[in-house]
Amino acid sequence: MYRKQVVLVATVLVLGAVLASGQTRKELRYKVHRRATISIMNPYGPIFVKPNPNKEIVIIAILHSDKVEIDPNQRGSRIDVVSHLLAGADPDSGRVDYELLVPVDANVTLHSTTGPLHAERLRGDVIMEGNTANVDVRDLTEGHVHIRTLNGPVTLTNISDGHVEVTSVSGNVALKSVNGPFVQVSSTSGMISYDGDFGGGGEYSLMTHTGDILATAPSYASIEVVARSEQGKVENDFLLEPGHSSFVARAGSAFAGTINKAASSVKLLSFSGKIHLKKRQN
Amino acid sequence: MTCDEFGRVLPELEGGHNLEQRAHLRVCPSCSELVAELEAISREARFLGLEDEGEPSPRVWNSIEIALRQEGLVREPLTTAVVPFPRNVGRRLTWLIPAFSALLLILGLLVYQNGGRRQLAESRASGVPAQPASVPSVDEQQLVELVATGTPSLRAEFESDLKAVDGYVRDAEESVRSHPNDEIAQQYLMNAYEQKAMVYEMALNRSVP
Repeated sequence: MYRKQVVLVATVLVLGAVLASGQTRKELRYKVHRRATISIMNPYGPIFVKPNPNKEIVIIAILHSDKVEIDPNQRGSRIDVVSHLLAGADPDSGRVDYELLVPVDANVTLHSTTGPLHAERLRGDVIMEGNTANVDVRDLTEGHVHIRTLNGPVTLTNISDGHVEVTSVSGNVALKSVNGPFVQVSSTSGMISYDGDFGGGGEYSLMTHTGDILATAPSYASIEVVARSEQGKVENDFLLEPGHSSFVARAGSAFAGTINKAASSVKLLSFSGKIHLKKRQN
Repeated sequence: MTCDEFGRVLPELEGGHNLEQRAHLRVCPSCSELVAELEAISREARFLGLEDEGEPSPRVWNSIEIALRQEGLVREPLTTAVVPFPRNVGRRLTWLIPAFSALLLILGLLVYQNGGRRQLAESRASGVPAQPASVPSVDEQQLVELVATGTPSLRAEFESDLKAVDGYVRDAEESVRSHPNDEIAQQYLMNAYEQKAMVYEMALNRSVP
């Protein structure tokens, strides 16, 4: 009895605090079928996506003021939610915090100028776009992962069998244990770091204009590698077997060759940044 | 001559401009800028090994012109009051997306067709230093103002990103000029244009109501 009174008082206090601050909490639930699609357009605020074992999409939205409203729309298993800014809204008053629970096979599309954006433990396709948003994606398998930011940093962790494309103008991109048939990262001035196996017999391409590239792989990595920097330095910790290609390696600015059975293709290209293919110390 | 009349004869202007067209270009900054952009596309296509074939076919220019008309750059003369900045600017700037997409398509086709088969007489130049930053174009300045109107806090970062991708495009273009058969140089150029198209697209997505 005493515990129930404590819980009741705590709930009233929390709700009171939310209402006093002008915030509004909304919860939406949708029954969906296989491979449902959920799209969130949220100019200001974070979006977190986690898996739901049920065939249901749950959307929890915290609106920070009355200068923003959310417009949800459902057509079958396709859900669209837009945060609609009203007159006088700014990045603080127009902010909406989203938390989504989605079936693991759902396809998720998130847009936010400020973010952060987060998704984990899903098997469907994940598309994220944010100007300055900090993007964090982890523990995904098999799906397509497409990420675009202008200067928001991007971190991908434990992505397997994925088709991955990341483009950022000046945000740093970090890939940890990312493997798949296709992994492509391009940046203008951000740094790209890769720490993984380059496994899966895939095609890996890391390309920058002025950013540095640091790729760390184990001694058992099986890759055919091409690395070139037009105006920067390149370093290589591996002993490469010369490959059969027309690529001309220039000492200090390019190297090419194979390691072990060359199952995967790896391109490390930077116009004026430094490139380092580092051997992981076990 | 009005902008609409000039736009109608634009696909036919391969041999140069007559007096009336030159007079219109002198007084109309938007048509003048359009011609400059199209000439730049034509010049860049030449550096990818089109010298023996000449300029892209008129069908290509027609396709670009159709896309520009659809985006409202080549338009009917205004009969009502001018819509105040920035809404008019936002709609006007959306032509940049299909223009860049058309440019990417042309470059992609040329890279695919020419590959490494052409042999040119130019010798490999030594490493080319990055070009100094140039003044942003009128459209880029207007795009920055449009972004700043929608979200003032993003202005500085957007200007910096635009400057960075412009530098990438310049360096990549110079690299292809110096080494037109180099597939990696061609990849840099494609990547640079894709980055620039992304910057424009994300800015306009955030700014146009």
